[in-house]
Amino acid sequence: MALLILVIIRISDKNIFREPVRKAIEATQSNGNLITPDQLKLLSGSYLVIDLRRIAANDSIQFQHRKQIPFEKILDRDNRDVLDQTKGDLILFSDDAATASKAWVILNQLGYKNLLILTSNANPEELKYKFQPDTTARLEQDSI
Amino acid sequence: MDARIKYSVLLVGIGIIIAFLPFNTAETFRVKSNILLSRSASEDIYYSVDQVARMMNNEDSTVQIIDLRSTTQFKECNIPSSVNIPYPDLLNPIWEGTFNQRKIKKIFYGNDDQTSTYSWTILTGLGYQNNFILKGGLNEWFKTILYSKFNGIKISPVENALFENRYNARKTFTQINSLPDSLKTKFFSSKRLKQSKLDGGCE
Repeated sequence: MALLILVIIRISDKNIFREPVRKAIEATQSNGNLITPDQLKLLSGSYLVIDLRRIAANDSIQFQHRKQIPFEKILDRDNRDVLDQTKGDLILFSDDAATASKAWVILNQLGYKNLLILTSNANPEELKYKFQPDTTARLEQDSI
Repeated sequence: MDARIKYSVLLVGIGIIIAFLPFNTAETFRVKSNILLSRSASEDIYYSVDQVARMMNNEDSTVQIIDLRSTTQFKECNIPSSVNIPYPDLLNPIWEGTFNQRKIKKIFYGNDDQTSTYSWTILTGLGYQNNFILKGGLNEWFKTILYSKFNGIKISPVENALFENRYNARKTFTQINSLPDSLKTKFFSSKRLKQSKLDGGCE
């Protein structure tokens, strides 16, 4: 009986990571977990935008379904209930790419499906600069 | 002992072991979710490009810089002394020795912050320690280290030290990335030899 209780407690523990890490890498490496504001406007199904900022700002983009949950409090019980009860996509939004990316990995590994990151840049990992080699570069003569 | 009791004891034993095993021993996070969240919310996980430039200039042996970009991008240009571990290859067991070093600070970078943040969260979640992120990635490196200029009239000692650090890092970055691959490994030994001569020491 005690064993059964232990197993039930473990299975129902929402704070245990249970998803294979490889799934997170596969989902993120092709940017398939990103959504732009234009794509969001065209989204036909239900969704909830999770605003991870501490203080909501006056945004140029107006979200129809938005809930502010600061990143540090994303795992609080009340906030987990909001995430659990949401039907459709959970769209993570923050001022910087890093905060939403951390939240995405943590929630993905806790088993949340349909997680997306809202970003204005469809390819945030693009190198904006081009390296210009110095054609005169050489090693010190005495080391060769 | 009754066979039924023996089997019951055996099953209970196996059940206890199963109940406390991770869901997938090899590939699930080991760190508790609230701990991972509080660590990832800290600003202490970041190094600025100026800090990394200083580490590179000093050839800091307590640091391992890790480039998460593709091999093609890495070959085009990279932060000197960094190793290339492309993000899709992160879980390859060959990198275990690189990640599993408690005394070495591992600083991850991509072109921007996204890939390095994914990698930091994944590796920290898997239980690896001493992981850090180069804030802004290579885009910030180019902007601050390669292209920033002092525009004031009078330079303070602090600003002078800052721009000297950037200038030295810029010089090393440009020189080493302009060399053919075959000569890149010789670069730092050449630099050390030159420095020892300037210091009046011997090799």
